[in-house]
Amino acid sequence: MGTLFSFRITSKNFSNWGYSFKLQQATGAGGNEVKVTQYLAVFSNILHRLRFPKFLAIVSQELDKDCEEIFEGLIQHGRLTLDQICDRAGSDKSGGGDSTVRAAVRENFNKLLNARFIERCPAPEPFLEPPTETKSSNKRGAKSAKLDGAPETEEQRIIAAAAPIEVLRFSNLATSGTDFDADEDVSGSSVGEKRKHGSLELNEEHGSKDKEVILWRVNFEEFIRCLRHKACIENVRARLDDGAAIVLKAMLDATRSIEKKVRTENSVPLSMNTIFEEVMKSEIGRSFTLDRVRASLVQLGCSPSDETYSIDLKKIIELAQNEEVESIVLKRYGRDAYRMFRLLSKSGHLLETDKIADMTFVEKKETPKILNKLWQDEYLHMEKLVVTATRQVSFLLWKVNKPILWDHVLDEMYHAALNLNQRLIYEQEQKENWAGIPQLEYYRCHEWVLFVFWFEMAQYLVQVPKKKICSVFVIRKLQRAAMKGKET
Amino acid sequence: MSRFQGPSSLKRKQQESSSPLDSLSEQERTVYNVIKSKQDMGIWSRDLKRETNLLDNIVNKCMKILLAKKLIKEVVTKNKGKKHFMAAEFEPSKEITGGNWYVDGSLDTEFINLLKDQCFKWIYKMRVATSEGLSDAIRRSGIFKVEFTSQQIEEIVRALVLDNKIEEVNSNGMGEFDYIPVGKVCYKCISSEGKGEPKLGAMASIPCGVCTRISECAPDGVISPKTCIYYEKWLDF
Repeated sequence: MGTLFSFRITSKNFSNWGYSFKLQQATGAGGNEVKVTQYLAVFSNILHRLRFPKFLAIVSQELDKDCEEIFEGLIQHGRLTLDQICDRAGSDKSGGGDSTVRAAVRENFNKLLNARFIERCPAPEPFLEPPTETKSSNKRGAKSAKLDGAPETEEQRIIAAAAPIEVLRFSNLATSGTDFDADEDVSGSSVGEKRKHGSLELNEEHGSKDKEVILWRVNFEEFIRCLRHKACIENVRARLDDGAAIVLKAMLDATRSIEKKVRTENSVPLSMNTIFEEVMKSEIGRSFTLDRVRASLVQLGCSPSDETYSIDLKKIIELAQNEEVESIVLKRYGRDAYRMFRLLSKSGHLLETDKIADMTFVEKKETPKILNKLWQDEYLHMEKLVVTATRQVSFLLWKVNKPILWDHVLDEMYHAALNLNQRLIYEQEQKENWAGIPQLEYYRCHEWVLFVFWFEMAQYLVQVPKKKICSVFVIRKLQRAAMKGKET
Repeated sequence: MSRFQGPSSLKRKQQESSSPLDSLSEQERTVYNVIKSKQDMGIWSRDLKRETNLLDNIVNKCMKILLAKKLIKEVVTKNKGKKHFMAAEFEPSKEITGGNWYVDGSLDTEFINLLKDQCFKWIYKMRVATSEGLSDAIRRSGIFKVEFTSQQIEEIVRALVLDNKIEEVNSNGMGEFDYIPVGKVCYKCISSEGKGEPKLGAMASIPCGVCTRISECAPDGVISPKTCIYYEKWLDF
């Protein structure tokens, strides 16, 4: 990934790309406990840099141009106070009084905050107990980690310790009149450890003196949630119909701020009345009858007898993932392999070569060859079974090991994204005097890179049409043709 | 000596004419009995050698004699290349020939594809179909001279599901399912246009998604995005 982008960590943006935290350690000789500050890079946040053009597009689409400008400032600087945001806006705008500008900025800022596109920065240097003690004391964390089926990593522990409590995260109270003492800021409220050095440094850094310092940053989670919802809705639209997509969109829009975690498996349950009201809010939804909404909910997998309705988002995403990987198999290995892969993917367990041949109508001789090719390219898992009854017979058993394969496909997607970028750069170098290149290509290419991210975060790819991806190449081609025409 | 031999050789000749079995040597009889015991499943030549515990050349010799006497026959199975033998009075079972889908040991892909196309067309026409309904429709259409069992139709339908041309759904008894009992397994076409082509994914729509040598590809490597011929073709609008 290194060549895909480059960035520099400064003290200003460090809190967005990395975390510093205090760790309690026992020294050998005196047995005294000391607190050591350590640093950790948060790679997922670094990767978000690639998605900034997409985030900006979402803000522009859902809010307006002024909000986008504020948001762009936060993207560029990593974290800012409201004062700094106002100053930036003031310097940009020539006309209008200072107070008018500030009021407008504050209003737009609140829009961003209400949409949860921005949030308070996490606490600097949260205090972290030693891992051995955590096992017994941090029951909540351990339990939630267990539920998620993965052990809690140090990165997760640090992020959890630094996170402001939910009420404060999107609260703008201090800036609108209520005074918060600097020490009662996010750090104090979440971990009970008062910030001293940190606050002083920050105050100096941002030019504020003894006043409260509330720093704001982009809330990546909300964008991921937004894109995840979009991915689910578009998949439903393609697989079912517009009606089901409209109902799902209404449900997800209504509950976006209540969703507990980004990768939630089921949508927040809603009653029929609420869903109907939400559907009515959209232009197309206004023509829907109650029966139509109910039928769409059934299509989405709900039972008509339910009191509240919740959509299985995990299932939608799983289906989308399957489609994506199957599509690769079809294009790379052909229809017979596609049928075999789908059979194994659907069955979820080991199947013997001959059985696969029979069920997929493929010649017995061809079947092992195709399966072997898929296995060599890590698309299948294979086990050899030796039976020694009257004589020794060996069978080959095959299956799709999804967790391993999904990682493999993701790696290939990152590789493909890198290749696409490299090719674009190469094309640019070939024709340096071509004026049409600049921002457009950069953006298009990054838009494509985003689909890798969707697979990773939402475990799903949103289809980016080839036409769109390579519109820059089309222009390039036209240029070439025009030049040829001149030459002749 | 000749006195004793005379009647016995005569007797043997008489028996030979009555049944070829009587003229078999002990080893030939052993081989024959093993083959016959397998009935319509027959036996693979290598298994025969193992089960009879006889030397290869002896088994081969016995087989030649048994074939010459038309007591056994060689049959073609779906595992082509494996010599398979069966007692003459049996017809090979569907298990070893592969049933109706095989002709002379080869998969009859042309026939299978034709049946698949017909099934797909009928499902598209009927919008929602059960396997029984589909069997009926195919039979009534009279396109095929042979009769298909419901199991055969199910096998074809299952392959269409794997092709992602149709999908398996359970009837909810409403709308298009109103004439089908609730919970009954039915089949529907995936795309409304009736093309039956699966959606092309994002990754599969760019050269790297199709490339089987992506693992060997690296910037400035022998295979690299800058020199990739697939990219050349892709960008050649």
